[in-house]
Amino acid sequence: MKHRIRACLVVLVAAPLATGARRATPPGDESGLSARDSAYHALSRLAYGPRPGETERVAAAGVMRWIEQQLSPDDIDDERLAERERESEILRYDRGDLARLYFEIQREQRERKLAAGGARDTVADKAGPTPLEQHGRRLEGQFAQLAVLRATLSERQLYEVMVDFWTNHFNVFAAKGADRFLLPEYITRVIRRRAMGKFADLLIATAESPAMLFYLDNWQSVVPGAVPPAATRLQARPLFGRGPFAPRLGNPLRPDSMRPRAPQGINENYARELLELHTLRVDGGYTQQDVINVARIFTGWSIRRPQDGADFEFHDWAHDYGEKIVLGITFPAGHGRDEGIRLLKLLASHPATMHHVSRQLCERLVNDEPPDGCVDDAVAAWKRTRGDIRAVLRAIVSSPDFWAARNIRAKVKTPLEFVVSAARAVGADPDTTPRLAQVVARLGEPLYLHVAPDGYPEREAAWVNSGALLDRMNVAVALAAGKLPGATVELDSIAPLPMDAEGLVAAANNTLLSGTMSANTMTVIRAEVATVRDPAAARALAVGLAIGGPEFQRH
Amino acid sequence: MTLSRRVFLKSGGLALVSFGLDPLFLARAAYATRRPSAALPNRPILVCLFQRGAVDGLNMVVPHGDALYYRERPRIAVPAQDVVDLDGYFGLHPRLAALKPLWDNKSLAAIHAIGSPDATRSHFDAQDYMESGTPGVKATADGWLNRYCQHDREHADTPFRAVAFGPQLPRILAGTAPSLAIDDLQAFGLRAPQPAVRDRLTRAFEALYAGSATGLLSTSSQEAFQAVQLLKQVDPARYEPAHGAAYPRGRFGRAMLQIAQLIKADLGLQVAFADVTGWDTHVNQGASEGQLAARLAEFGDALAAFAQDLGERLRDVVVLTMSEFGRTVRENGNAGTDHGHATAMLVLGGPVNGGKVLGQWPGLDPARRFEGRDVSVTTDFRDLFAEIVARHLGATDLTAVFPGFTPDRARFPGAIRA
Repeated sequence: MKHRIRACLVVLVAAPLATGARRATPPGDESGLSARDSAYHALSRLAYGPRPGETERVAAAGVMRWIEQQLSPDDIDDERLAERERESEILRYDRGDLARLYFEIQREQRERKLAAGGARDTVADKAGPTPLEQHGRRLEGQFAQLAVLRATLSERQLYEVMVDFWTNHFNVFAAKGADRFLLPEYITRVIRRRAMGKFADLLIATAESPAMLFYLDNWQSVVPGAVPPAATRLQARPLFGRGPFAPRLGNPLRPDSMRPRAPQGINENYARELLELHTLRVDGGYTQQDVINVARIFTGWSIRRPQDGADFEFHDWAHDYGEKIVLGITFPAGHGRDEGIRLLKLLASHPATMHHVSRQLCERLVNDEPPDGCVDDAVAAWKRTRGDIRAVLRAIVSSPDFWAARNIRAKVKTPLEFVVSAARAVGADPDTTPRLAQVVARLGEPLYLHVAPDGYPEREAAWVNSGALLDRMNVAVALAAGKLPGATVELDSIAPLPMDAEGLVAAANNTLLSGTMSANTMTVIRAEVATVRDPAAARALAVGLAIGGPEFQRH
Repeated sequence: MTLSRRVFLKSGGLALVSFGLDPLFLARAAYATRRPSAALPNRPILVCLFQRGAVDGLNMVVPHGDALYYRERPRIAVPAQDVVDLDGYFGLHPRLAALKPLWDNKSLAAIHAIGSPDATRSHFDAQDYMESGTPGVKATADGWLNRYCQHDREHADTPFRAVAFGPQLPRILAGTAPSLAIDDLQAFGLRAPQPAVRDRLTRAFEALYAGSATGLLSTSSQEAFQAVQLLKQVDPARYEPAHGAAYPRGRFGRAMLQIAQLIKADLGLQVAFADVTGWDTHVNQGASEGQLAARLAEFGDALAAFAQDLGERLRDVVVLTMSEFGRTVRENGNAGTDHGHATAMLVLGGPVNGGKVLGQWPGLDPARRFEGRDVSVTTDFRDLFAEIVARHLGATDLTAVFPGFTPDRARFPGAIRA
């Protein structure tokens, strides 16, 4: 095995571009990647793939320098994206605006139902959406599109990769009741603000976020026997899943069994997922009793009535002030909100958490089955810096595993990665309509709509299957032909016309795949485009086949 | 224990990588050398439906004859007068009423107090165990439906043998035997306005993937192109459900319609799978009406439409519903239920020993509950799954399908007619 790797190294070092390799690859690294290959690798994993010419630019400037810049996103100018963001109507709505819009839509729907005689089925659906509903849907679509837009256009690529990582790690399902209007702020102000900060800050911010409190039901978790003060009693009425903000009383549509009541006890939902997914992992050494005690610690972590803005609110009257023991550690009686913060800090620096989250980062950045080496490096950096995400990332990219031959192009792109990298590869400029986000959804990854709290999977087996592959081919062909609505494509930047078959193959190989196209792919594309007379159609076919082909599915 | 399991997992993963080979790819490639051929008539078909999120078995198949049920669930119990009575003690949730005729004609059975021998209350672990068929063992690489297909190879003659409806291939079908994931039958394949362009694109991509793809990309694409070719003859766009069957709108109804369509197309479908979500009712789950009721209505209506659409063809078909665990006997503080243990499953079809609630009912007495709070498991889910695999699909080597499990025919719940 060792010998084979050595042999490979010799071949690679002898390649013409190897002269730049010394300078470009990380210190002490023996991977033998050329400057161009290491730039392509970094742009594939720490970014959403290169734009035309970007691999060469990063290689020339030095890949490690580019990585260092990416680790300080605030210092990177991102005016082009900021300009596009300003076109996005959704960003001009704050949580209160969205809540009001949402309530208006709910009220309209109720009235239509009543007018229709209170029939059980979805009368409102049959009549088609009202202008207000259409407006709401447009904003939701815009927000999903914004994720695609940012990933495509931002210069702060590693930051956008991390935003996607944390969005999945701290997943919130946007179609659950109030989360329809809580999610945009959650992403913008909780996830995006802390994606490169300290893990503990991120963990605490998610725990206090109205979106998470609502999604995992903690906002209604109260100590058994708790009685809300008279003034807040109405506020304590639960909302629920699909049709929240139901009328208060006396609505003929709601039989007794459905009428919301004040919460009467603890709800374990958040407590369990906090331990299992956000921090320790399922085998992280906690028990059912720990779950119950964590839920008790978070009793009273709630939100104001959504009509009043849904801000985080600690409800003294709902909190369990008794003593609790979690993971063998005593939380003495008499503590309120502070014991929740204490627990979150403890969990954030627990060895099981460090290992779990470091491993997930390596799954994302290195390999679906990450080698122990890079995980250990990440954990060491976590310990040293008390969970500084940038330091952990630096440790991973400095690990020899990150650059090892067997981890190059070892991962299959997720639908988001595929669509965004394709858009970037052809220099596409997505608009603010939700069209590209809809393509990502059709390929299996509707953004912010993963129901379960574990977020979208990272492993290739979850994404590679017959149906999804055919869909990727369709998307590639449509994109190259300029027929994918929502993105304007400028193929002249890749291959100015006229160009013969040989030229098209070379252009597709160099710009789209940074020179990694296989001999077979070249042969097939050459043969196909040679039979097409129209030069623009031939170019579109070459680009479509290259993006829909097997090499472009990997990174 | 945890430590040794971790070490095992790790070294297993390393072993695969260090050889630089993907064993899944190699095994699937071996299958791919066979060419598709015509389907066998009247072969048994199994349709597995996964209620992801842990369905509340007690409100799906309601023990309305038990006063404790009403005492523990003051806000969410289904009132006795609303229950569709089955045997005087159990009854269906009122929004499952569409299934009652199937109960009456003996093609529907329920199994209560069924679940996993593993105590986990994690959705993800419990689903994983139910799909791998190896509760408590995380290192199992493949799913039990896929292992059935590996083990019984004589039918491995069509790409449509095992199909999952949805954008992702589920864990239950992961493994070396080929299986398709189809999100939409009508849109399956390369799309182009002119058939000539479409055929040309199909050929070009087939050549690209045949020559350059590696690993799962290679096997999945081969399966895809074989399926595309066969599907061309069927014209799925022109399908009309038979016997006036009306599928509910939405994802699940569409999946059931497409399963019926594939069965009738005689492309050799033997194993089908679909997900149905929305069962994690921690808050305000409702009783006769409400959140859970709405999910059950869609579920029951789709199953009833499927049975009606298939008509005579239902005689070869068994539909099995499953869910990772049940929910707490007692309602929680938010008029919902938290993660529990045993749940109920449904079995539907011509070969089913219907009109019965099967399994041993442990009752709701707190002394007999699991950890004092949940319905105890009296039927290991593998006993039911193994019975169906053996007596319906005709598998002979059950230990190959459920490794580490010793099937005992005496423990089969009796879901399939002798």
